Formats: sequence, C-alpha cells, structure tokens
Amino acid sequence: MIVEVEEVIKRFKDRLALDCLSLAVESGEVVGLLGPNGAGKTTSIRAIVGLLAVDEGTVSVFGKRQDGRNKEIKRRIGYVTQELTIYEEMSARANLEFFGGLYDLTGDRLRERVEAVAAVLGLDGRLDDRVNTYSGGMKRRLNIGCSLLHEPELVIMDEPTVGIDPQSRSFILEFVKQLAEGGTSVIYTSHYIEEVEAVASRIYIMDQGHMIASGTLPELIARIQGDSHILVDVRIASEDVRQQLRGIPDITDVVLEENQYHIVVPGGISVFDQIIPLLAPLTIVNINSKQPDLEDVFLTLTGKQLRDAV
Amino acid sequence: MLKFYFTRSMREIVGHLILIGIPVVIIAFFNFVFRDIFQPPGQLLPIPYLTVITVGFALTFQIYGASLSFEVLGADFFSSMRDRLMASPAEPRGLVVAIIGSGCLISFLQTLAVLLFSSIVLEADLGSLHLTIPIFMISVIVNQLLGTAILLLSRSTKVANSVITIYGSIVPMTVGLYFPLPDGAFVRVLSRYLSPMALANTAILGAMEGNLSVALSTTAVLAVIGIALFVVMRPLVRRLAS
Repeated sequence: MIVEVEEVIKRFKDRLALDCLSLAVESGEVVGLLGPNGAGKTTSIRAIVGLLAVDEGTVSVFGKRQDGRNKEIKRRIGYVTQELTIYEEMSARANLEFFGGLYDLTGDRLRERVEAVAAVLGLDGRLDDRVNTYSGGMKRRLNIGCSLLHEPELVIMDEPTVGIDPQSRSFILEFVKQLAEGGTSVIYTSHYIEEVEAVASRIYIMDQGHMIASGTLPELIARIQGDSHILVDVRIASEDVRQQLRGIPDITDVVLEENQYHIVVPGGISVFDQIIPLLAPLTIVNINSKQPDLEDVFLTLTGKQLRDAV
Repeated sequence: MLKFYFTRSMREIVGHLILIGIPVVIIAFFNFVFRDIFQPPGQLLPIPYLTVITVGFALTFQIYGASLSFEVLGADFFSSMRDRLMASPAEPRGLVVAIIGSGCLISFLQTLAVLLFSSIVLEADLGSLHLTIPIFMISVIVNQLLGTAILLLSRSTKVANSVITIYGSIVPMTVGLYFPLPDGAFVRVLSRYLSPMALANTAILGAMEGNLSVALSTTAVLAVIGIALFVVMRPLVRRLAS
C-alpha cells in the first residue's frame, strides 16, 4: 500500500475539516478525490504530504507513519500545488533546476532530468524563457514538471488544471494517464467530474470533510442504481409501439412526446436488441443514450449537483 | 541555492535603482547644498563632510536593504510556495541561510556602488577601505538579520516593511545624519552607540580617523549584536518549519 489514511480527524478551531476520513492508494493506481471546494480535498492531501498534523487517526505513506519530518518519504513524493508555485521572474530552466536541487539532484543528472521533464511536458523549446512570458497552460505544465524531476513514486496533484484552456487540460489529463502507465501512483483532486472520470481508476467522493463514497466508476454507478435514458426519434410514432416497449420487462418507463420515445431502463442493463426490432418499422431517425455518470452519483449521494456545490 | 536566490533578487531592478539611486542623489544633493555650511571653505575637518554623509547614507540604505532578505523570505514562506518547499526534503534552515546570504551579498554590492559613486564622481575621500569595508559588511549582515527577525516575529511582510521603514527613518536622525544634534552626554551616547547604525558609523569614522581602539570596540559590539540576532533566529526558523 502506498498511502493509507485511517479514520483521520482534523479540526481548524471549531470547524471539522476532516471527519473520520479513511482512504488508501495502491501501487500504480490513479485515485481521484472528487468534491466541491471546502470538501476537505486539499486538507486531506496536505495531511498525506506531511504538511499538516492530524488531530486523530493515522496517515501512513510507503508503510511509514507520516509526521512531515521523514525525508525518505518526502523524496518519494511529488506534490503539485493547487496554486502556481513557480518563480515567474525566472526562466523555466532555473525553476526546474532549483526544485530539482531541493531533491538533491545535481550536475549532469539534474541537467538530464530538466531536459527530460521539459520534453515530456512540451516546454523544451522555451526552457530559457522567463515564466512570466508563458501562457496559463504552460505555467500549469511547469508547475507539474517542478514536482517530477526526482521521479517520485507517488505524485499528488491538487486541482492541477484550474484556470486553463481545454487543450492544456487534455494535455495534462493525458500526461496523468501516462504517469500511471509508467507505474507511478497518483492522487488527483478536482471538482471537475469529467477529469476524475477520465483519469481515476478509483474515486473517493468527499463533501464537507466526509468521505461519502468510494470505488471504481462502475461500482459507484451501480451503487446508486441510476437509470439509463434512451431517446429514440422516429419518423412516424405509434402508441401501440409505446405499449409494446412498456411491456419489455427490463424497461421501467416509456414516454412518447411527438415523434420521440423516451425509454427509461435501470443502469447497466442493455435493451437495444429488444427495442430496435420494434422501432425499426417506424424509421429510426436518431438514437441517444445517456448512462448514469459521476454527476448522478454525486447528486444522489449529496442531494446537490457538484457544479452547484463548487 | 545561493546562486538561484542571488539571481532572483538581482532581477528586482526597481529595488536596486531605489537602493542605489536614492542615496547617490541624496549624497550629491546634501554635498551641494550643505557642504559649505558644515565645512566652510578653507576649514579642515578630521573627516570631510562628503565622507561623513557618504558613510551615513550608505549605512541608512543598508537598513532599507534588509527588505532584500525578508521580501524573498516572505514570498517563499508566507505564501503557497511554502507548501512546495516544505514538501521537499530540503532543510528550511538551509533555504533561510541562502536567502539571507544572497540578501547580504546584494546589499553589500549596493553599498559598494554608493561608495564608488561618491568616490569617483564626487571625489569623496573614503580613506582606509581595507579597514572600513569589513565594517560595512558586518553592518549589512546585522541589518539583514534584523529585518529577517522582524519578519519571522511578525509573520507579515507588510508589518516588517513598516517597522524597517520607521526604523530606517528614525535611526539616521539619532546619528545626526540629517541635522546637527544638540550637545549632551546622552545625545553623544545615542548618536555613537545606541543603534547598530550608530555603532557602524562610529566604527567606520573611527577607522578613517585612525582611532583603531574605537573602531575595533564598536565593531566588536556590532558583531555581538549580529551573533545575538543569529541565535534569536534559530527558534524563529524552527517555528517557520513547523
């Protein structure tokens, strides 16, 4: 086990920031921490990094208790902060060399790593430019790169895509996947559902300091037993066909509105092979299928949509 | 690390212009306006007026130069950058020492620039530089440590800036830099010994006059203040890391 957090409680004066939080990260997996602002994501990862002492419970990293003083643990973690923590008045190379130096990289090894990280993050052409001439996306990539020079076994990313364009976001998400493919464990926090869905092999959903659910995406969806919605547009609709569709045991409901059938089935069940023969004679114009997603999971578990809670 | 912090601080062009440009202008202005009042033509003083104000303003702007260290420390340890630095295995003590070291180096270079201007452009007689330069250096270290201690105690760059600004405005007056002080035993002690700037000023002028016992004794006291500040810094740096 790379990280093990057990029943951690953290208070800031009267406010309970983490309430009996437990989570685990296994080797080589990408764990997504999902929740609105103030859910406790950053507090959780600051406790894992060793920047925050917990009031109760234990945090273990690489099998050792995390007290923030163990340099061996620190050497094996790469921490990507939510805010940009780079020196904008300096060049990217100077930044990378400085942060590499903090992890005892020196000489040729440091230079090699700087070039390698810059190449992976697409910054190699502008390594010697001052960071304040970079775009927001490039700064974000450099912010990530500064945490990777020492080839950490565990990378912790706190909302690494805040405030950047979709292209840079895609780049970063792809990069996180590549990291995991290379065997690096990743903790990825975000309040963007689609990001967590895209990168995480296991997801923890947090709200108001509580861990309200965890599991793989299919597990979480199965847990809420959400419905799938199939919308079928036909040229000429028929009430008889609606009745026949309603008669299929796996279908929960069928609504006919003008020339569109709105078919509701329990999540995870496919009925296409049964409905297509019935609808084909009506000339199918369009089919849309919406499976329950993480947004539905969040909505079911917290009673609010994530984008409203942010 | 020292190289990185040195390069970073050197990029603060506006700060350097202020810390070199203002004393240079003030020295030139004071020399032009007041020299004939404080040193009537034909009268020989133990130390020429231009030399006195050059030393005085160089030391005054060393006080403001304390911001070289605490601004960088504030930006690194009282912002989100702290998390990245503290997440690394680097010792915070080492980072603080590197920051103060680069601050000292740059402040010393600024002092040299002021002295060089006065010497070359205004033709000030700066006397035995081999004796005075080490005193300027000790004074730089004391000022950088003092500014850093104020920051670490207040944990606010804004507060540290205000305290240093007030301190840097008042202390030169007590040394008699801006206007002559009334005569009296207390005023004499105040102007010569009761602040790090007064001690440095007394030591440097003593060295220039050839009064080595005064120069050495006041330099020793200044050095003790520096050591005391260094000792005070240890728990403050430990608190910074916790």
